Amino acid sequence: MPSDSPAPVVRHEALNRDHFLLTLESARIAREARAGQFVMIQTRAGSDPLLRRPMSIYRVLPGRRGLIQILYKVVGTGTRYLSQQPRGALLGTLGPLGNGFRLPEPGTRPVLVAGGIGIAIFPFLAEALRKGRGPSPVLLYGGRSKRDLVALDFFRSRRIPVRLATEDGSTGTRGFVTRLLETLLAARKAADHLELFVCGPTPMLKAVGAVATGAGVACQLALESQMPCGIGVCLGCVVPCPGDARGPLFRRVCTEGPIFRASEVAL
Amino acid sequence: MTPARRSDGATDLRVQLGPLRLKNPVVAASGTFGYGAEFRPYLDLNDLGGFVTKGLSLLPRRGNAPPRTCETASGMLNAIGLANVGVEAFLAEKLPALRGCGTAVIANVFGETQDEYVAVARRLNGAPGLDAIELNLSCPNTEKGGLAFGVSPPVIREVVGAVRRAAPDLPLIVKLTPNITDVAVAATAAKEGGADILSLVNTFLGMAIDLKTRRPVLDNVVGGLSGPAIKPLALYMVQRVRSAVDLPIMGMGGIANCRDALEFIVAGSAAVQVGTLNFVDPGATTRLVREIDAWCRGEGVRAVRDLTGTLRLPAGTTPGPAAV
Repeated sequence: MPSDSPAPVVRHEALNRDHFLLTLESARIAREARAGQFVMIQTRAGSDPLLRRPMSIYRVLPGRRGLIQILYKVVGTGTRYLSQQPRGALLGTLGPLGNGFRLPEPGTRPVLVAGGIGIAIFPFLAEALRKGRGPSPVLLYGGRSKRDLVALDFFRSRRIPVRLATEDGSTGTRGFVTRLLETLLAARKAADHLELFVCGPTPMLKAVGAVATGAGVACQLALESQMPCGIGVCLGCVVPCPGDARGPLFRRVCTEGPIFRASEVAL
Repeated sequence: MTPARRSDGATDLRVQLGPLRLKNPVVAASGTFGYGAEFRPYLDLNDLGGFVTKGLSLLPRRGNAPPRTCETASGMLNAIGLANVGVEAFLAEKLPALRGCGTAVIANVFGETQDEYVAVARRLNGAPGLDAIELNLSCPNTEKGGLAFGVSPPVIREVVGAVRRAAPDLPLIVKLTPNITDVAVAATAAKEGGADILSLVNTFLGMAIDLKTRRPVLDNVVGGLSGPAIKPLALYMVQRVRSAVDLPIMGMGGIANCRDALEFIVAGSAAVQVGTLNFVDPGATTRLVREIDAWCRGEGVRAVRDLTGTLRLPAGTTPGPAAV
């Protein structure tokens, strides 16, 4: 069951100019969280910004203290205030929320597909996959530029193969992450069972979902949305889903998601 | 009013609004509290004065396409589009789950026509475990060119009167829209129609623009503004209605803490509703109850009802929109 309490900032590191890794102490969230779930974090006291920010859980650190980590990018006022929170600050933290990833069937090779700060959801999943002792994952990771590709050490130190793409060609393949995906799909053998786990901006989710559907590959998408409450009551974060003659159905990203199968949503 | 200071014993938090008795003056507002059960992980419903359900229509509604919300300075815009499970699913699934919850359950009701309001209210009348209904008059009236029900005094009188007759057993709260020249005119019409209680205010119409795309942020273009940004506007309207109409008031609009709630009470509210704050802090309502109790003890206020309408206006203040 989710809970809400002030969580102390234990560490707060700048990875580069606009990417930060935040470590919070929250024994209950650390105990209950599953890969793909998120928390709502108060970025600063007072009414501006008014709303909390939804953040994927990057990792639950081993140990008894109950530490969770959040990787985020400064994109607006909320995240800018968050980046100024010093060690010892107490941040209202509500979670764990959402449904989390469904782990793949035994024998299925997981393909993690990240766009930009979408990488923040995958270390937790990589650790869950390792505990599940299935085939090791591969990471396809795209960003605008080299500077947008962070957390590479986490994957490389665990011997997870990483393939990179940048829009400006500053590192890896030039272009979108879908180019990496198309190469990987073209090279697979008929007996290979793959499942895609995807997180990134909505246009990227849409493109990757279309490639997966075209190739007949199972695909879970981690959606992001404007999310005022995170607990299913404001109905603000909905995503259109295949409906009927009356039009699309709307499902809540916070409670029916944030993880959906590609076929469940009409992005 | 200067009650003797006292520090012993708990404050009497009970309030009476016409036929509706609440154990304390804090009520969670419609659209911000789901159907109640969603908040069980964060608070004990038994500690709350009451809560108002998501607005109920005759049939389920899916609501508007996203984006439905947008954060603004100390507030937020929403255009959810009145998505809800419909009155039948509410009665079959949501209301039974609240049995014994120990707080007043108030069903918010809306319709696109007067007949729809009446049908929903009739269906709710006598439902076990339901304590009152609240009419949302901000809904567009499809028979009158989409103008909200709550902006025309004759329409307000008629729809309130029709609902009054359809649900004679339930206390009737009428929720007023602020998107009108003088809210006291709407309040008077609601009273004439047979309202027991007034709740105000609903959200203020507003919009947000994405400068990069030069499009409205909300798919619906226009939305309702709520949150601390509207508090002074709402507080004024509560004071205005209090001075013009003799009905108990549930005041609301941007309440973010105990002092805000008490200001609404001093301005004339017998109870307050708390809305957007529930999104930010799901345990906020019951904390407000404890803080109001503590404040009253500190100030020597024996019963919170003694604070209602204790605003001291300057001598010679005339009711009505004053020149500023």
